[in-house]
Amino acid sequence: MKYFRFIWKNVFRKKSRAFLTMASIVLVLVLIVVLSSLLEALDYDTGRTKGAANVVVQHATGLGNFMPLAYRQKIEQVPGVVAVAPQIWFGGIYVDERPQNFFGQLSTDPQVWAIVHDDYSIPDDQLIDRFHWTIGQRIQVRGTYIPGTIDLVLRGVYTGPDESNIFFHNKYLENSFLGRLERTGIFYLRTEAPEKVPGVCDAINKMFENSDAPVKAMPEKQFMLQFTEMMGDVKLLFRSIALTVLFTVVLIVANTMAMSARERVTQIAVIRALGFRRSQVLMLVLSEAIVLALLGGVAGALGSFPFMWGLIGIIKHTPVAMFAYNLKISLATLLTAFTAAVGIGVLAGFVPAIRSSRISIVDGLRRVA
Amino acid sequence: MADSLICIEHVSKAYRRDSLQIPVLADIDLTIDTGEFIALMGPSGSGKTTLLNLLAGIDTPTKGRITIDRRVISSMRETELARWRADHIGFIFQLYNLIPVLTAFENVELPLLLTRLSRQERQAHVRTALAIVGLSDRADHYPRQLSGGQEQRVAIARAIVADPVILVADEPTGDLDARSAGEILDLLNRLNTEHHKTIVMVTHDPRAAARAHRMLHLDKGVLSVEEPAAALDRSRDGR
Repeated sequence: MKYFRFIWKNVFRKKSRAFLTMASIVLVLVLIVVLSSLLEALDYDTGRTKGAANVVVQHATGLGNFMPLAYRQKIEQVPGVVAVAPQIWFGGIYVDERPQNFFGQLSTDPQVWAIVHDDYSIPDDQLIDRFHWTIGQRIQVRGTYIPGTIDLVLRGVYTGPDESNIFFHNKYLENSFLGRLERTGIFYLRTEAPEKVPGVCDAINKMFENSDAPVKAMPEKQFMLQFTEMMGDVKLLFRSIALTVLFTVVLIVANTMAMSARERVTQIAVIRALGFRRSQVLMLVLSEAIVLALLGGVAGALGSFPFMWGLIGIIKHTPVAMFAYNLKISLATLLTAFTAAVGIGVLAGFVPAIRSSRISIVDGLRRVA
Repeated sequence: MADSLICIEHVSKAYRRDSLQIPVLADIDLTIDTGEFIALMGPSGSGKTTLLNLLAGIDTPTKGRITIDRRVISSMRETELARWRADHIGFIFQLYNLIPVLTAFENVELPLLLTRLSRQERQAHVRTALAIVGLSDRADHYPRQLSGGQEQRVAIARAIVADPVILVADEPTGDLDARSAGEILDLLNRLNTEHHKTIVMVTHDPRAAARAHRMLHLDKGVLSVEEPAAALDRSRDGR
């Protein structure tokens, strides 16, 4: 601790250089925190404690195929099942095809919606804020793969883990080809308890395995993961960006530390002459790099909060709004950021510190300061 | 020789530059007693600073033995030598070599960071050292806020703060005007007479050398002439 003032003063020996280097660390730390938080949001966990008891049933071959609505009655008979809501992803266009006008549209059965989504409540704000809707407003959505336009009336607003969708009555699709064929996209169902989920899934899968439309029943989380798995490359891209930027800043800080050490060859020779050992010089120079990186790390971690709040505000008004509800800076992310900061300091400071500790006193003193 | 503080026996030093072996000092024998003030003179490249570095323990001889205060420093390992330097040697450089980001107080405190003294004890030592060199009122000044003479006095305070036995000074007045140089030499004299420091000073300045008890002359690595400083002083004054 008695060396701290010496270390601190040397860190800010060239103030503008120290602040610019810190700024580069701050930017990297903000980027790492944001990307890590995005990765966590992409690894979609609905955050619904009650969602653990939910099961989603889809066609065994994928979401592009549909199942007979008649399955509903059979599924309702499976022991452990509380309620079943047939749902269809409408995928319609609201106003126009611009991304900012995109939102999810799911038909459902209002009789059981509240049971299946019992952690949702009414009212809310997200889509209302986004489109300045009011209760009673007419919302026209033009179908894409389901032809026709549905004319909805906004009756209520919910809050929940994902507020980026609207739900409408299945009756609106009765006259569509799916309605006429008595088909649905998925069954969203609630079981009695999370422990019942594996048994219910097995029972449903077996029930329809030899039918014309075999199904795949899975826990809600697994269903959601299907979508984020499609973004596998995006995650790889995020990780690659984070690592590249991290490596770049290590080089920047290493260069700063090397310049700082080179400029102080005489100073280092003097303190060695005064009796400082090689190991002490090594620790002093390394500590300077770590202090610099930690200061940048703290500033970066603090700076990432307002940045993240702004980002969430923006994402909430985009087609990927669902991620905004999972986007938060976790303690694990902050720890990762601090570890990265210390790592930057150690990696960047190590070579200059070793070099400084090896400076010959005689050669160092011979240089004109 | 038994009572000598510094005993240099058959010391040679050569540097390697690529495949070349460059001899700097040849078979030097020298003893310095406790409390002596030695001036080391000679032309540039004669080996004065090398000899100073050897007896200060920041360089090692190619041959021979250096014993200081009954300890053979020429065979010490580097870590041991660093500790020994911290305890026994005070350095005074031509260009002062103060740390620019530290105040005068912090610069003087630097050698004490290597000791086990408490913060209060360190502060007391630093205040004493600054008082000895007459710079108590400049403790909070940075080197850039001091004159050359004041910087050198801070450097001297740093050299004496850990109470070493020996002060080694490499052209301590080489970068100063005549008046400041005189003040520094007065201070060194005082440290020698009042505080009983053994001083070895490299200088080109005969006036500075005249302050010493003994003047050693090095030429091409050979300690060739040894004459009393007073004689040089007389020759300088034309008496």
